Amino acid sequence: MAILEVKDIKKNFGNVEILKGISFDMEKGQTLSILGSSGSGKTTLLRCLNFLEIPDDGEITVNGNVLFDGSCGNLSDSELNKSRLHFGMVFQQFNLFPQYTALENVTLAPELLDKNRNRQDILEEGKVLLEKMGLSDRMNNYPHQLSGGQQQRVAIARALALKPDILCFDEPTSALDPELTGEVLKVIKELAEQHTTMIIVTHEIEFARNVSDEILFMDGGFIVERGAPAQVIDNPENERTKKFLSSIHRKA
Amino acid sequence: MFTTVTLSLLDGFLGTLRLFALTLLFSLPLGLIISFGSMSRSVILRVPIRFIIWVIRGTPLMLQLLVIFYGPGIFLGRNLWGSGSGGRFMAALVAFVINYACYFSEIFRGGIQSISKGQYEAAAVLGLTRTQTFFKIILLQVIKRIVPPVSNEVITLVKDTSLARVIAFYEIIWEGERFIKSSGIIWPLFYTGAFYLIFSGLLTLMFGFIEKKLDYFR
Ligand SMILES: Nc1ncnc2c1ncn2[C@@H]1O[C@H](COP(=O)(O)OP(=O)(O)O)[C@@H](O)[C@H]1O
Ligand SMILES: [Mg+2]
Repeated sequence: MAILEVKDIKKNFGNVEILKGISFDMEKGQTLSILGSSGSGKTTLLRCLNFLEIPDDGEITVNGNVLFDGSCGNLSDSELNKSRLHFGMVFQQFNLFPQYTALENVTLAPELLDKNRNRQDILEEGKVLLEKMGLSDRMNNYPHQLSGGQQQRVAIARALALKPDILCFDEPTSALDPELTGEVLKVIKELAEQHTTMIIVTHEIEFARNVSDEILFMDGGFIVERGAPAQVIDNPENERTKKFLSSIHRKA
Repeated sequence: MFTTVTLSLLDGFLGTLRLFALTLLFSLPLGLIISFGSMSRSVILRVPIRFIIWVIRGTPLMLQLLVIFYGPGIFLGRNLWGSGSGGRFMAALVAFVINYACYFSEIFRGGIQSISKGQYEAAAVLGLTRTQTFFKIILLQVIKRIVPPVSNEVITLVKDTSLARVIAFYEIIWEGERFIKSSGIIWPLFYTGAFYLIFSGLLTLMFGFIEKKLDYFR
């Protein structure tokens, strides 16, 4: 059974249709990368999955549970909060909480969400996650004392701490200096190897080819091409995909 | 003579302090409420509140004191404040609280609106409620940003209290001036400056300490 089924998601801002009917599904343990030119709706799609935007129409199903069904209308705040927890989100701008240390950033939500859980366990889990991110010596640093790459790795640990079914990344390395992207891509690759279910919006074509089980190419609010990395990146069929890839290659 | 003057001025300074402390006590929370109103999505709430803030910030506090003190007598035909010193104090307090609440509300609004949307969104995807987000994530960041402008405003308030003498509110300058008439000496008036300087110096130290305490994050 698919871990995620997205059916015909639509989203308008004002009277501009940004997502025009997005459908796809993915299996547990898969890594799915989304490519597409700027403005094609990639961020909006991830935001809809995390309910930072409420889709106007469509269906979102996780593990067979329908989280959103366009016709069911208004979701209450607490329903929203529960649905959100199926997804994790790593933002382009990290969005760490500046007044908390790396470790506190990771443990804050688990502590607030389940007051009955043993604090010591949460702390241990947080430390293990940060170690996995290669940050064992940075746990007690505040975000402003960390490099962009380190901040983004803390953000990944923070998202993982809630054990989401699907972890979403929105251009996780776009805000980083080029020499810092490697360390972030490396930990994402390790997560892929450990079969973390992930959706990654990225412009790093080579990286996407290496880690993805499948690639979606978006254009103008639609998914215009979908397939294995070798197929979509090396032998694209769609004209827009070809154009996008050649523009990226020219830049590189 | 010096001791007599010092003791009298201290007595006047108590009036100053009382107005200062009670103004802060009421205007800070009222300012927070007004700031929420001025950011409200409802036009019926937001527009009148912004209008009031504009009027209060756009006219002299001295004028507001006069209007609040004499207004009820003129417009309602009855002196709301009574004739004693207690009434004058109440009128002064009300004028100061309204005035400073409006200034504080703008500082709070600026602080709250300067927090990036990303902070709210990061909290939301972690499943935090609105209350948790405000108290655990947003509030301390806002406090850090508003400490410098609030400290300016508070120090201005120390000196602004002297304006209350237009409605014959008893405070330190009133007391200092009395010596000109009663004893023909002017130095007590200058001496009042020392009281202001020492008190605002203490406040500056205190706010500096708070700023330092919040220095651990950016
Ligand atoms: N909150 C919003 N209000 C209005 N328009 C928006 C909003 N968010 C995104 N858009 C528009 O939607 C389009 C797609 O944006 P986005 O999903 O960020 O694309 P991508 O991430 O693929 O670059 C853009 O044209 C953008 O201007
Ligand atoms: Mg984007």
